[in-house]
Amino acid sequence: MENNLLELKNLYVNAENKEILKGINLKINKGEIHVIMGPNGSGKTTTANAILNNPSYQKTSGEVIFLGENINNLKTDEIARKGVFMSFQLPEEIPGVSVTNFLKYAKNKISGEPVKIFKFKEELKKHMEQLNMNPKNMERSLNVGFSGGEKKKNEILQMLVLNPKLAILDETDSGLDVDAIKTVSKGIEMFKNDDNAVLIITHNTKILNSLKVDYVHVLVDGKIVATGSQELASEIEQNGYSKFRKDANINEN
Amino acid sequence: MIKLNETPLRTARNFNINNIKIEDIEFPENIKKFNNANLYLESSKDKAEFLKHDTTLTYGLSETFYKQVTNNSNYELKIDINSKMKNSITLDFNFDENNTNLVENIYIHAMENTKSNIAIKYKTPENLKCFHNGIIKIKAEKNSEVNIIFVNFLNTNSNNFLSIENEILEDAKINSTIIDMGGKNSISNYYSNIVGNRADNKLNTIYLGKENQIFDLNYIAELKGEKSNVNFEIQGALKDNSKKHFKGTINFKRGAKKATGNENEACMLLSNTARSLSLPMLLCSEEDVEGNHSTSSGKIGDKELFYIMSRGFDEKSAMKLIVRAKFNKILETIKLQELKNEILYDIDKRLD
Amino acid sequence: MKTNVEEINRNIYDIKNKDDYDFKIKKGLTREIIEEISKQKNDPEWMKEIRLNALEVYNSLELPTWGPDLSELDMNEIATYVRPKSKLNSSWEDVPEEIKNTFDKLGIPDAEKSSLAGVGAQYDSEVVYHSIKEDLIKQGVIYTDMETAVREYPEIVKNHFMKCVPVNDHKFVALHAAVWSGGSFVYVPKGVKVDIPLQSYFRLNSPESGQFEHTLIIVDEEASLHFIEGCSAPKYNKVNLHAGCVELYVKDNAYLRYSTIENWSKNMLNLNTKKAIVGKNAGMDWVSGSFGSKISMLYPMSILNGEGAKTEFTGISFAGGGQDLDNGFKVVHNAKNTSSVVNAKSISKNGGKCTYRSLVRINENAKNSKCSVSCESLMLDDISISDTIPTADVKTDEVEFSHEAKIGKISDQTIFYLMSRGLSEEDAKAMIVRGFAYPISKELPVEYAVEMNNLINLELEGAIG
Repeated sequence: MENNLLELKNLYVNAENKEILKGINLKINKGEIHVIMGPNGSGKTTTANAILNNPSYQKTSGEVIFLGENINNLKTDEIARKGVFMSFQLPEEIPGVSVTNFLKYAKNKISGEPVKIFKFKEELKKHMEQLNMNPKNMERSLNVGFSGGEKKKNEILQMLVLNPKLAILDETDSGLDVDAIKTVSKGIEMFKNDDNAVLIITHNTKILNSLKVDYVHVLVDGKIVATGSQELASEIEQNGYSKFRKDANINEN
Repeated sequence: MIKLNETPLRTARNFNINNIKIEDIEFPENIKKFNNANLYLESSKDKAEFLKHDTTLTYGLSETFYKQVTNNSNYELKIDINSKMKNSITLDFNFDENNTNLVENIYIHAMENTKSNIAIKYKTPENLKCFHNGIIKIKAEKNSEVNIIFVNFLNTNSNNFLSIENEILEDAKINSTIIDMGGKNSISNYYSNIVGNRADNKLNTIYLGKENQIFDLNYIAELKGEKSNVNFEIQGALKDNSKKHFKGTINFKRGAKKATGNENEACMLLSNTARSLSLPMLLCSEEDVEGNHSTSSGKIGDKELFYIMSRGFDEKSAMKLIVRAKFNKILETIKLQELKNEILYDIDKRLD
Repeated sequence: MKTNVEEINRNIYDIKNKDDYDFKIKKGLTREIIEEISKQKNDPEWMKEIRLNALEVYNSLELPTWGPDLSELDMNEIATYVRPKSKLNSSWEDVPEEIKNTFDKLGIPDAEKSSLAGVGAQYDSEVVYHSIKEDLIKQGVIYTDMETAVREYPEIVKNHFMKCVPVNDHKFVALHAAVWSGGSFVYVPKGVKVDIPLQSYFRLNSPESGQFEHTLIIVDEEASLHFIEGCSAPKYNKVNLHAGCVELYVKDNAYLRYSTIENWSKNMLNLNTKKAIVGKNAGMDWVSGSFGSKISMLYPMSILNGEGAKTEFTGISFAGGGQDLDNGFKVVHNAKNTSSVVNAKSISKNGGKCTYRSLVRINENAKNSKCSVSCESLMLDDISISDTIPTADVKTDEVEFSHEAKIGKISDQTIFYLMSRGLSEEDAKAMIVRGFAYPISKELPVEYAVEMNNLINLELEGAIG
């Protein structure tokens, strides 16, 4: 059986008429955890948005292949239903829609099956406990009035409930304290199995300490300039990106 | 009795805010030239001529007030801005025994890529009964910036009528400040026609009412350009039997995609006989916009007052301090130090 | 959430019965017509006087100089009184088949069984059904049609009828007082708490006619009540007119909640007047969903006359193509320590126009009063209109008054977020709109919240995507 989940082939992407991604190549197989690291403005978030075909980002050339199919022009919800999930850096607030109702509805859309409310609530409660979330949040409006940490945990909760084939976590660790980062890592471990994959987008390395990462990619100025193992992350932690910037012919400042 | 300063859209008549009715206004006739005005031009590149501009107004106070200016003005000025100023053009109208009536027609034309600072001040002696009715039109060509401040230091026996109209083209910016202090009646009409893409208009107003003063502020902004922006910030305080009507209209016209408009009005009531009427309208016929308004009125918080008094201030000074603090955000933007001091002194005196 | 969509069918509201009446007054508005209505209704002399006087007031008043264009309304083309072929019944069995079917389809008898303490049902100009639970009668609660009240409780009616809303309030109040027919009368005696709601449902079937029902509710000291009003009509080509009048008296320490789901057909001019006088430490809450009508001008009003009186208004308007919904709220603070909270929302789509128009007046004697207003408008496309026209008149210093308003569209990023969770663009927008309306729907009893969500889904169908 085909082991490949996602492949980006020479992908070029514009945002607000500016070229952000300048030929990205990436291959993610089932059972793998990938990390994309890079300084601010290097195109990390653009990569995630381009995979999910956010209309604010335009692919100018290249391909996004998911499970062997070109998904360049699929609508975001169709991509989601194929099994791609993205945890947002800034999750949107939806007043008047409770976490439970929202997830129940989304689960129904993604699985295509009716959701049994009691069983579903049990599952939700279980996951919330695992993520040290206040079960009362279940009935609160989605992300409204949530702290930064609560929002990020809520994204991980959604990942666990919707159980995608590929989870893209965009800066899920940023702005979190040590305990919250641990919880997020725990969520990722619970999610991960041999049939799915995780793509972590981050600019720091703390979250990687407690996870076994297969590949680390360094993204600078819209290109992947280096790929390596977990040690690459440690190297960046010590020395920053200056070495790679030089490689990519970027002037500091 | 005359009715003036009609809002662009009417609401129920018994809300008493569609227009203002004023009794016993004497329109001065056969008025002589206004001879006590000082104009200071910063750069020789800018051109000032004492010429009448053929003025039209989209809104304005009323036909009568408009006609008085177009037919019988006693001060006329046209300024072409051609420079990028560091300092300011100043125009001071000093009312005196021989100059009790001012009916001015001013046109300011800011050329492309210029930057200008302008201060216009109206000042009367303590008790002399004066009359002011003016029209000031400003056109900001592409990518120009006009910073303009109007200061009304009239006494409370006089009447103040002022119509301001802006036309703002692409990437141009007009930052206006109105310091509205004087006048038995101070009635102003401010209209910004924000036509250009990315055109921007800010209006900061401070008013301060005492005795039986009546303020009627009718501010209108029409957003037509894409990504255009308007921001009204109105801070005021009312003591004694003074009264204020604030009518603010932000109108998002179709086509003003990604435009933003904000208006914030706050009124401090310093006596239980002061009255604050407000009508902050948001009109919207374009989907992709962001509009907000907020308005509030009430007295100075007891806790705030207590806190300051606990630091050794008597009640009046504490009150003054709080009012000044509320005005500060706007006052800080005034660059002419001398004028700012004069305003601070005036606020202080009026709060006594 | 979506499952309700299949169950709803606009046809329920659009069932047109034959224009089959017992008596229909000729079109127009003259002294003779008013006298004829009065005769047909067997008015006592004092009521006839009120009607005739109101007609004079009507003729002396101008149309409003503001708000929606009412030029389409021609009173010479409106029949103001249509008596259905039914007398007042206290059992659904006795209601004529065709009329009963209409109310069956609207779910009124079902709701009565499951969740209401009493029901009134009006068809055209007359109430055809009225009932109230036995235990409430025993506690002295009166719930009847207005005509019965005029006959049986003349003193109460005389003291309250057109006293809260004066006849000269505006032109359509005067019209109402001249031609009123039908409506409900409620009296809740001191200390009686009515736990489950009473509901009156108004159905206008007859074309080129008007409905002018009068609702008079008195909640006596320490008592409480939840009253629900529903309304609908099938759509005709020419305009219909609704000029009802609601007068509410909430006595000291009493509480009244008045909920409305208005779903008039889109040829209706809804020029309704509602006002409440609220006593000491009493509470008056309004919940209002406005979906129907071609033109609506409706500004419920609370007059806080007693110290410590409180009022809340929670409302939503949803205007689609061809609709001009000019709605809002008025409050007068007339005593110390009074408070008001307003939460108004509107949605405009498909060329529809929503206006929020309001008045907050805090009088000299209302020391230590508080008022906070929040308005939010959602634009679903760039051909619709949304205006916010709030007036505040603060006449004294010891108050806290604040008003906030926001206008905008659903952000693309929010839609993207929901789509990334598997929702189609249409579903995402519908979910956001339902969430937007949630603060109002949560204030309604479950059945009505469901009905409101159904109406929202119905309005959104085909409008977005």
